[in-house]
Amino acid sequence: MGTLDYIWLGILAVFQGPELFTLFGLPVPVTLVMILGGFLTGIAVGATPGLAGPIAMAIALPILISVFGYTPDALLPVMGFLIGIMKGATIGGAVPAILFNTPGTPDAFMTTLDGHPMARRGQAGKALRVAHFSSAAGDTFSDIVLILCAPFLAILVERYLDLPEKTALLILSLSFIAAVIGASPGKGLISMGLGLLAVYVGSGEDFYPRLSLGTSTLSQGFPIATSVLGVLIIGAVFHELAGLWPVAPHRSGATGRDSGDQRLHAADIRRLLPYISRSAVIGTVIGALPGVGSTLAATLGYTVGKARHARRGSSDGLKFGEGVPEGIAATEAANSSVSGANLIPVLSLGIPGNAAAVFLILAADSIGGFNPGPSVFRFTADVVNPELVVAFGLFTAMMIANALNWTIGGLFMRAMGIMTRIPKHMLLPIVLLLTLTAIYVQEADMAMIWFALGFGVLGFGMRLVGMSPLPFVIAFILGDKLENSARQAFAATGGDPWFLFTHPIAALFMAGAAGILIFTAVRRKPAA
Amino acid sequence: MPGPSRNHLIIGLGALAFAILMLLVWIPLDTDTGLIEKVRRQVTIGDAAAPSLAALFLLAGGALLVTVELRAPHQMRIRRGTVIAAGALFAAAVIGLLLMRYSGPAAVWLTNTITGGGLDYRLLRDTAPWKYTGFLLGGTAMVGAMIMVMERRVSLRALAVALLAVLAMIAIYDLPFDDLLLPPNGDV
Repeated sequence: MGTLDYIWLGILAVFQGPELFTLFGLPVPVTLVMILGGFLTGIAVGATPGLAGPIAMAIALPILISVFGYTPDALLPVMGFLIGIMKGATIGGAVPAILFNTPGTPDAFMTTLDGHPMARRGQAGKALRVAHFSSAAGDTFSDIVLILCAPFLAILVERYLDLPEKTALLILSLSFIAAVIGASPGKGLISMGLGLLAVYVGSGEDFYPRLSLGTSTLSQGFPIATSVLGVLIIGAVFHELAGLWPVAPHRSGATGRDSGDQRLHAADIRRLLPYISRSAVIGTVIGALPGVGSTLAATLGYTVGKARHARRGSSDGLKFGEGVPEGIAATEAANSSVSGANLIPVLSLGIPGNAAAVFLILAADSIGGFNPGPSVFRFTADVVNPELVVAFGLFTAMMIANALNWTIGGLFMRAMGIMTRIPKHMLLPIVLLLTLTAIYVQEADMAMIWFALGFGVLGFGMRLVGMSPLPFVIAFILGDKLENSARQAFAATGGDPWFLFTHPIAALFMAGAAGILIFTAVRRKPAA
Repeated sequence: MPGPSRNHLIIGLGALAFAILMLLVWIPLDTDTGLIEKVRRQVTIGDAAAPSLAALFLLAGGALLVTVELRAPHQMRIRRGTVIAAGALFAAAVIGLLLMRYSGPAAVWLTNTITGGGLDYRLLRDTAPWKYTGFLLGGTAMVGAMIMVMERRVSLRALAVALLAVLAMIAIYDLPFDDLLLPPNGDV
């Protein structure tokens, strides 16, 4: 089995997988339909203020698992649907930003700056076309980088890193995430510590389930769906609703009626390409770092684009922020190019970098048969590595989603303006009940709903004090892996308690972990 | 004008206190093996090591907040209205969940009282209309009450929206699947 054989098997796994129905005598594979369904759902969700890709992924996951079961055949359809949501939500967020000056997703905030002024001038159609083109271009670029980089990074990790180094790499990744997410590394560390604490309740190797306070309820530990959905989704719902209270009926910025040419011409594309390419590179680099989100990528892309635009000037005399297509292109290419690159640490190291990646790992974890991490990319010659086939199947799914994005994405996106009319204060309580129901159908235990609500309160409290819940979630997911890796490294080094510091690469990672935290904290200290 | 926020100081001290409590009380009393364990001449990492690492992260985070980041700018100020609203919303959710849990068995008890029958909810929990009682009542109450809290008024429209949403959820989660049970029917 060579590399090309694995790529071909991955493509076949998508196109020759179980068929859903036949169309004109041709079998239509279920994975293809699921990618399309996820993509369209993602656009609708992204275009709805108050909803986001991760919420849709959280609600869809238990339904998908019920439909497809816990067999290896379920991996590609389920993960294809989730990938479709992830990609659709990225372009959907620009719709309300442009039409109603309300970003559908946080990373589309910068899109409002130029998108909405264009819409007010009667160029909403053109602004949406620019957003779609830039988003699709950034996303495709990022996916190509992912496909080229993830296998090499995984092979490097497998070849050069032993157990102590892998343990240190996990600690470095967690420290990096704690340092860069949110405004305070101190709060990031606390969030991460709480996540680790939560995952270690009721687990361990001893007969007595640790930290269970002697209760049977805690001795089972907290299921991953309960804590992740509680902190991430339920906490967000409470925070968003409490922030809206009391609801005042108002209409955000209205758009003007479209007038003049709304099409995107080759000359427009030539003018936009320098902005798109710069932002795509910025977004991809940022996306490859775990924990650094698409909002920062959008801000950086916009800033770089603005500087270029100011240097070169424009024929119509407009500046960034006054409704120039380049502003939309710079933002949308940057925030969309994060999504593919974000999967580099997931697939090559097993480390989720954002909320969407968390749900892909949850799906893989629930179904089984695919453990994202360096072991996936073992190009075994004698026997087929099924995980590698799934990985190339996922790459194929991403490329199919990109093809859908280029072909029907723009059309569907422009039809989604209606989603912004759904009142947030009515939608979010429904999302809460949907999430609780999603947890219950997986666990069939009312105690889990109460736990989820408790984690929701924790997530709300964290947001209230400006603490990001994402380090909590990522630490919860990586906690067991960290402990197992440390146990194995300890055993492999003959019981050396200093194994993290006696191996040069591991020591370097540990120094990096401490360094990034101290550097970030000191850099954010106010000038005396 | 309000003084500077003490957000970092309060969170930092709270994290430090919790971490110390974990390291000195909770972990030693609530784990059976220490940091390192010797089993049949083989030294392994004990169950206390990983939670201790979690406590050390909390300790480090708290220490950073009360030292380097103590006077960091733009510390979040908590709005009283936000906390009150969240409390009311949380109460609405809890009431809805309690209704969800107990209204099905209560409906069966009421039916038995009126008809003198001997129905058992446990045996009816996968049978319509009983299986929908708790979810329909509790879910509608939860969503409806939360919308009313947000609008600060009692409205039939909120209840109608909630009822429609719950019916849609029943259609999504229950009708197509034989193996899924709506709350609270899985463990009543």
